[in-house]
Amino acid sequence: MKWDRITKGKLLVTPLVLLALLLALYLWITNVSLDSIEKNSLNGGQVRLYLWQQIELTAISTFFVLVIALPLGILLSRGFARPAAPVAIALANLGQATPAIGLLALLTFWLGIGQRTALIGMVAYAVLPVLSNTMAGLRAIDPTLLDAARGIGMSPVGVLGRVELPLAVPLILAGVRTALILNVGTGTLAAFAGGGGLGNLITAGITTQRTRVLIVGAVLTVCLALLVDWLASLAELQLSPRGLEVHQ
Amino acid sequence: MNFWDYVSSRQDQLISDTFQHASAVFQCMVVAVVLGVGIGALTYRSDRAGRIATLATGTILTIPSYALLGLLIPVLGLGVPPTVTALVLYALLPIVRNSVVGLRGVDPALVDAARGIGMTGLARLVRVELPIAWPTILTGIRVSTQMSMGILAIAAYASGPGLGNEIFSGIASLGSANALNEVVAGTVGIVLLAFIFDAALVLLGRLTVSAGIRA
Amino acid sequence: MVTNDAPITGATIELENLTKRYPGNPNPSVDSVSMEIGAGETVILVGPSGCGKSTTLRMINRLIEPSSGRIRINGEDVTDIDPVKLRRRIGYAIQSSGLFPHLTVAENIAQVPRMIGWGKQRIKDRVEEMLDLVGLDPREFHDRYPRRLSGGQQQRVGVARALAADPPVLLMDEPFGAVDPITRDHLQDELIRLQHELHKTIVFVTHDFDEAIKLGDRIAVLREQSHIAQFDTPEAILTNPADDFVSGFVGAGAALKRLNLTRVRDVGIVDFPAVTVDEPLQDLFDRFRSGGSNEILLLDRRSRPYKWLRRGDLMRARGSLARAGALVSHTVSADATLRDALEAVLTDNGGRVAITGRRGEYVGVVDMETLLNSVHELLEADRLTALEHREELAELQESQQHQRSALEGGPGGGAADGAGGEHP
Repeated sequence: MKWDRITKGKLLVTPLVLLALLLALYLWITNVSLDSIEKNSLNGGQVRLYLWQQIELTAISTFFVLVIALPLGILLSRGFARPAAPVAIALANLGQATPAIGLLALLTFWLGIGQRTALIGMVAYAVLPVLSNTMAGLRAIDPTLLDAARGIGMSPVGVLGRVELPLAVPLILAGVRTALILNVGTGTLAAFAGGGGLGNLITAGITTQRTRVLIVGAVLTVCLALLVDWLASLAELQLSPRGLEVHQ
Repeated sequence: MNFWDYVSSRQDQLISDTFQHASAVFQCMVVAVVLGVGIGALTYRSDRAGRIATLATGTILTIPSYALLGLLIPVLGLGVPPTVTALVLYALLPIVRNSVVGLRGVDPALVDAARGIGMTGLARLVRVELPIAWPTILTGIRVSTQMSMGILAIAAYASGPGLGNEIFSGIASLGSANALNEVVAGTVGIVLLAFIFDAALVLLGRLTVSAGIRA
Repeated sequence: MVTNDAPITGATIELENLTKRYPGNPNPSVDSVSMEIGAGETVILVGPSGCGKSTTLRMINRLIEPSSGRIRINGEDVTDIDPVKLRRRIGYAIQSSGLFPHLTVAENIAQVPRMIGWGKQRIKDRVEEMLDLVGLDPREFHDRYPRRLSGGQQQRVGVARALAADPPVLLMDEPFGAVDPITRDHLQDELIRLQHELHKTIVFVTHDFDEAIKLGDRIAVLREQSHIAQFDTPEAILTNPADDFVSGFVGAGAALKRLNLTRVRDVGIVDFPAVTVDEPLQDLFDRFRSGGSNEILLLDRRSRPYKWLRRGDLMRARGSLARAGALVSHTVSADATLRDALEAVLTDNGGRVAITGRRGEYVGVVDMETLLNSVHELLEADRLTALEHREELAELQESQQHQRSALEGGPGGGAADGAGGEHP
């Protein structure tokens, strides 16, 4: 695999900016005097734990979103499942209209507090946009290509594997990116369902009115979100089929 | 207490929260539309400016809303100011992006014709390009409105207005008699508002999109 | 287009009462088409848009499943075999080329050979061969993506992909419909050349009648529901259109179009007294004196037409050949069409034109009178064959109609009959 599609600028700018941001945060927080509440919230082990929980939440929920949404999207775009597609779209719209915090809170009543509840809420919230994206993308493939593929003798599985899925790769990757971003965001709300994560720092900062705690939590979350998005954008660049690139 | 008893007993509070939720989203959307379409109109003619505008608004959208609120609170305090700022910032991306895409998508032959009959740049924008790009922009506005509904719910934790307060008060009193009722009332209320707003925007589209380009 | 420099690799195709109905539409989109296509023949389905010609074509490789009727290829009934296997034996090229944008040119061409399990090296060689065949330099185009090809190049690759596994039958659905007229002309010439080498059985759909007469051995003019209005050679359709629909479709100037289909070498070229410049002058005078001719064609040393000499020209030029007579301004090759010859005769003062062979050597002369006579004869012959073919077609349809009604009919009606159930 060649790596010629990722330019130096793309490769360097974001991590450097994030690194500088984190460094500044670290220098600032180690050079101000903290009161006992702040010390308690910002002790190193605690922050690391929250950060790790946040990454875990994002990774696990994204994994399940993809495992559910992609096959389901492919299935719903097959001819025999056409009648079910509008139902899925309607459900997706309803899901988009539901506030994430409300969904998480309701799940807490039903399943109790804990990481599992938070994960289920995050997956439920992100499955629908990724699903509708997958369906839209598969439907956007030029029908004459499918006609040509069948016309030269590809079996239905062959058409899916050799034409539809490769052509849908950009869209699948966009789905992955969407899911990741949504999950980093919803992950901050996992704190309200007892799921842990950086949301705990922000919440603590707000309730105890400690600005520094708030800022550490928020900046770490922002950095994580931007980092994840950057990684996803690199993957998008690298993994899209070459023939589909817009410019040379 | 069942849900309907709860709703009737807390009628005034619920109505006031619902009204505040709707009013906040509406006002923020007005500001975001003016800003977003403005940015779009200023940047669509330049490849670079358009890209920068999309990148900047896209970066904001990547940031989790709870974290952005966290960053705004030290600067703006609690309550309405950080809420409105966050809402407007988040609502920008879909509007800016769709404005740029929509305005760029206008058939160059039409722009040429407009120039040919002597329209100035501004007249071209207002009388030809914006009306043709309007359906695309409206789609962006619909997406933004939906998003704002949910973000406003979270902003309640930073003492923002609206139905989010019901949800958080339910979370805070987990286990108490009315906790579930509060969460359900807040969530369902927001979903209903979202559908009403979306329907209103579809209606607006019917009324404002020229019959000549309606799909 | 029948030449014998290559073996015929095509297969026969028989369509028997092929019908397509769509649910909710009382009238079939394709109503009982029957057609026999010979091996190595190029048959063009031509008709207005919406006449069902594409549907008919797509039923041959069962991209559209026929509601009833049979398809036989090389005598084998393929109506019920696995459509995927069937399609791998039939080349398919479509209007927008249908190249897969995420695959290179070479990978696109290699698709069918790979599916039928050819070895790597064989596929590689075949791809090179196919690129050569369609006139694209393998070194230059092998690794390109379709997006970086012109429309004409994309079509060439599309044809290469269709032919890659050497299928006996090639189906083409308006393959040149989306390219500019000049490129289209080139692609048509290329297809003629290819078919000269390969002798596939080609079924080609177009709505352009001029394309049809240029490419087709036979043309099926279709009206709505794919009813065959006329199925015959281009010559026969031009000279004797079956009805108003066909003549409307043929368009104005049918007789002139007919002139495009015959070469000068196929009509009466008359002998004309000719003398090369090397012969002694005295011979010239003798020729004028002895023969009844008033004019002689003077040839140069390589026996190419040089000058028209009239009786008396030499006298006026005082015996100097260099000054006598009129230079030959137009010649027409024996391979030229009658239309070209007519054009030359019309522009020539003397109403005749010298015909030359492959190296420019003198072959004979065509004048207005012989040209008109041969055209009349041609048209008459066309008319006769067209009449014959039409009778044959009518007989065929009648006998099939008969068979069908025999199948459906009988006491109690056809409802109980499985095959007949499809019909109203």
